[in-house]
Amino acid sequence: MMARYGMLIDTTKCIGCFSCRTACQRQNDLLPEQDFIRFEQREVGTLPDVNVENIPLQCMHCEDAPCAQVCPTGAAHMGADGIVEVDEGRCIGCLYCMAACPYQVRVRNPQTGTVDKCRFCTVSAEQTGTKMCTCVEACLTGARIFGDLDDPDSQLVREIARTKASPIAGDLTKSKVFYVR
Amino acid sequence: MTFEPIWGVIIACYLFLAGLGGGAFASATYMRLRTPHCVHLIRYGRIIAPICVIIGLVLLMFDATAGFHNPLRFALLLTNFGSVMTWGVVFLGLFTVISLIVLVMDLLGKGLKIPVWLDVAGAVLGICVCVYTGCLLGVAKTFPLWNNALLPVLFLVSAVSTGMASILLVGIFRAPQEFHQSGAFKKFHFFMPIFELFLVACLLFITANSAEAAGWESVMNLVAGKDAAAFWILFILCGLVVPTCLEWVMLFMSTKAVEESTTGHLISAASDALVLMGGFVLRLLILSAAMPITLVQPWI
Repeated sequence: MMARYGMLIDTTKCIGCFSCRTACQRQNDLLPEQDFIRFEQREVGTLPDVNVENIPLQCMHCEDAPCAQVCPTGAAHMGADGIVEVDEGRCIGCLYCMAACPYQVRVRNPQTGTVDKCRFCTVSAEQTGTKMCTCVEACLTGARIFGDLDDPDSQLVREIARTKASPIAGDLTKSKVFYVR
Repeated sequence: MTFEPIWGVIIACYLFLAGLGGGAFASATYMRLRTPHCVHLIRYGRIIAPICVIIGLVLLMFDATAGFHNPLRFALLLTNFGSVMTWGVVFLGLFTVISLIVLVMDLLGKGLKIPVWLDVAGAVLGICVCVYTGCLLGVAKTFPLWNNALLPVLFLVSAVSTGMASILLVGIFRAPQEFHQSGAFKKFHFFMPIFELFLVACLLFITANSAEAAGWESVMNLVAGKDAAAFWILFILCGLVVPTCLEWVMLFMSTKAVEESTTGHLISAASDALVLMGGFVLRLLILSAAMPITLVQPWI
């Protein structure tokens, strides 16, 4: 049976150290300019009870992926197991997907002109058999959990239920990345 | 992080030229049906249309770097008919073919033998191209300034306005006699910038009050922010208000002698050139000022 992969990101644990981004860039052999994980920061609370919230943003692997809807060549498409994929050999670099992505997490490769983004490490799974996303393993505080959203016994599904995690922007798209705030 | 517009000057040129080409062909067809004696003006429209669209398409291909390096990938453009860009490729392709056929027939002296249906088909496709340039941006829910039904209408009116202006601009110098005889066409053209002004005001009011904060931010970029100088001076003043005033004076206030004098010609030419400039600046501003919803408030 096909899986429906998703992720949980606990911003209350995130210290903004960029380890996930660095691990991702090494794992996927990215250029320094290609950051599949983008960090946003904001202050939360009112004085004296204030804190800084770190929000790592990345491809949400939307089930209704706007990037795949607008891609004229079919380079951006819904792949197996609900992972939104980019077929680099079909990409003409029109950047329409970058305009359509409401989260602005798609990144242009300045050398080839193609557009890419978080792959849920499908590359590593196929090439080296890595089951886990690299960013999950690299996270120092265990802020990330990867798993199958259709498996009720998975740690991912149990933690989403326990923490009442939700997509970063409500029902803007059918996101498969959930955030604890 | 600060937001860098995804598309820049090259795409603004493309949107402008595609609209200008489509608008010029539609205007030429209108003249063919209403004032068929203006053979030269009609021909100028038919020359301008394919040239502008082809230059626009070359710019587009150049901007799509990955496709430019692997040209065979452009064949894949016809694979996803759920994408507005795919429809645009269909419209642009058919329009270029028809407009080239019409142009060749006209240049070979067979202008009178061009079937009306061919001209009308070209005009309809030309209008589709103009509307497409607006829908291309309009379907991106990310940007409240684009994601509304007014933008394609605004782009269509602006495209027809620039198309007409381009024909008149060439006509003033190359066929002044016909230029003087095309009063109805010029009056039609006169109202375009006024209509555009009205549409721009609607677009800004609706966008500023959109559910997303990014709508307000985009409008503020235009009226009081980073793009305000270009918006007020180059677009509103020079691109819309001044041409309207100049045309009003030439069409309704001046005598026939003034209209046909060199000064009159230069005033009309200045007005048309400003309309063209305004059309380009509009595209550039719409691309530059649009803010995405999740960067203004990444934590919504």
